[in-house]
Amino acid sequence: MRLLLLEDDATLGSGLRDYLRTEGHRVDWCRTLREVAALRGEPFDALLVDWQLPDGSGLQWLRDHRAAGAVTPALMLTARDRLQERIEGLDAGADDYLVKPFAPEELVARLRAIGRRVNGGNASLRRFGPVSIDLASRSAARDGLRIELTAREWSVLEALVLRAGRIVPKQDLERLVLGFDSELASNALEVHVSALRRKLGRELIETVRGLGYRVEKPA
Amino acid sequence: MRGWRRSGAPSIRSRLAWALVAWAMVWGLSVGAAVWLVAENEVVELLDDRLKASGELVATIVAAAPEASLAAAAGNAHVTVTAPNASSDERFAWQVVGTDGALLMRSAAAPTEAWHRTATSGFTMDRDWRIYGMALAPDGRMLYAGQTLDERHEATVEVALSAALAALAVGLLGHVWLRSRVRSELRPLITLSDRLERLGVGDPHSSADMASLGPAERAELRPIHEAIEALTARLTERIANERAFSEHAAHALRTPLAGIDAQLAVAMRECPATLVDRLQRVRDGSRRLQGVVAALLGIFRSGLELERRPIDLRQLAAHLPVAGIEVHVAAGACLDGDADLLAAALVNLLDNAERHGASAIWLEAAGPRLLRVHDDGPGASPARRAELQQALDDQSYAGATGLGLMLSDRVARVHGGRLRLLDDASGFTLEIDLGSGPPSPAAPPAQPQGPGNTSPM
Repeated sequence: MRLLLLEDDATLGSGLRDYLRTEGHRVDWCRTLREVAALRGEPFDALLVDWQLPDGSGLQWLRDHRAAGAVTPALMLTARDRLQERIEGLDAGADDYLVKPFAPEELVARLRAIGRRVNGGNASLRRFGPVSIDLASRSAARDGLRIELTAREWSVLEALVLRAGRIVPKQDLERLVLGFDSELASNALEVHVSALRRKLGRELIETVRGLGYRVEKPA
Repeated sequence: MRGWRRSGAPSIRSRLAWALVAWAMVWGLSVGAAVWLVAENEVVELLDDRLKASGELVATIVAAAPEASLAAAAGNAHVTVTAPNASSDERFAWQVVGTDGALLMRSAAAPTEAWHRTATSGFTMDRDWRIYGMALAPDGRMLYAGQTLDERHEATVEVALSAALAALAVGLLGHVWLRSRVRSELRPLITLSDRLERLGVGDPHSSADMASLGPAERAELRPIHEAIEALTARLTERIANERAFSEHAAHALRTPLAGIDAQLAVAMRECPATLVDRLQRVRDGSRRLQGVVAALLGIFRSGLELERRPIDLRQLAAHLPVAGIEVHVAAGACLDGDADLLAAALVNLLDNAERHGASAIWLEAAGPRLLRVHDDGPGASPARRAELQQALDDQSYAGATGLGLMLSDRVARVHGGRLRLLDDASGFTLEIDLGSGPPSPAAPPAQPQGPGNTSPM
């Protein structure tokens, strides 16, 4: 998943960024609302938002974000733990609320839960004909045989599976998979898609000419 | 029910009401007695005047009576004069008595014996009569006018009763009026009591109406209003300061702790295998610190607001950071209390149990507001248990109890209850009493728990 982490504390922000990366997520870490503004229009799979930021309220930012029509799942990360504050956070548009201090393992589990909810199912296992993909264990199999994927291949596959049934523009897919500031060769995405087709079957990822890629909804 | 009604202290209203009843009775009796004394004298005087006037009138008539009548009377037989409309129960009578004491003439109601055989002027008393005597003529005949004592007594009683009833009526009306005045004058106190009950000191969600007592309704209450307003202002400021401090402290403490945990989690993934155990121990310590910080923040803040609500004990235990100890929760166990505070206490109790060698811990709702915690550790000797209980009872925690027991006792006390250490042959058992009082909204009923229906988390 491509995640936007909005956290001003350097120790926590860098720790979460690195931990989430070890879990295979792409993380864009912003410490201020000004930095977030520079990412306007970037596609994200989930937002991790701290309530209190040096140049404003993360909660208000989320409220404005929702008012503008954004539906990206959001998770509040905050030290505010009162019942009224939790209610306020959820009412502002957060899909989940995690009180500091928390274990990064729990954050990752909640991200998985958000991913399942977004895709309308509770199970992390998705079946596409002979191919099965387990988003929780980050594994893929064809005809019951486990297929080894590189981290980049898995990222491409996960981004498409999380948006199953929809066309994902090539440019969005590049940014989802590689993040905002990553360098990427012009044909790198085609190389990863080609590798995935070779390993999992040509029928899994469909090219919609001139628009992008699509994975059909799971069975 | 109002606090002043259930306080058990005497009520001003009922004390004043009783005082008024006593006053009305004393007033009625005193006024009745005074009226009786005055009325009796006046009535006797009035009746005597009437008797004298009647006697003089009769004397005038009898003096003009035909000589024949008197002559007939002189023949040893008296004349009985009956008035044309006289009734048989006539209570006024008269007699004419000769100089020899013989009864010469009488009214129908008068006795047939002369009241006095010797001439007696003025007022005298007979057995049943009040008599007034006067000389009729120079020949020595006497006229006696009499009035029955029953009549006189009846008149006196009538007057006295009327006066007493009037006094009683005035007393009762006065009582009712004063009682209503008392109620009306006490209403400002009741209003003040209501406002005090609704006063949201330091509550940011309270309305302006609830944040102030409003103007004093009586001059005597103004000093109380001013004192309470001043106290409220000081409390509000203090609560605001403490709230600001707790929010700042929460942010300042929780965020770095989360950062430390995240950095350690990354480090454990990136470090050589030989360092993993060491980093894990650091992380365990960091988590223990998280539990303590959360508990301390919770306890500090609980002095400001207690969020009592129904708690699913199994759900609560599922969210506790548990390492190295198996937690068993009775199925369906529910409690009524502040979930965050209870979690803070349990985190530290679990940590305590694990550090004292327990491998499993059982949580049981022994009542809607009674949590029983038992572990399979070595427990404590009766003497040590008594020492710990004494320290908890005296709240002298320093150096006497561990953090887990201290925090659990504070949590129990914040709820209005206590922490009790129970005698147990094996392991360590304690009860966290979460206080009494009305249940929180939608609080579930207590679930009866049996020892057999537990399952590990």
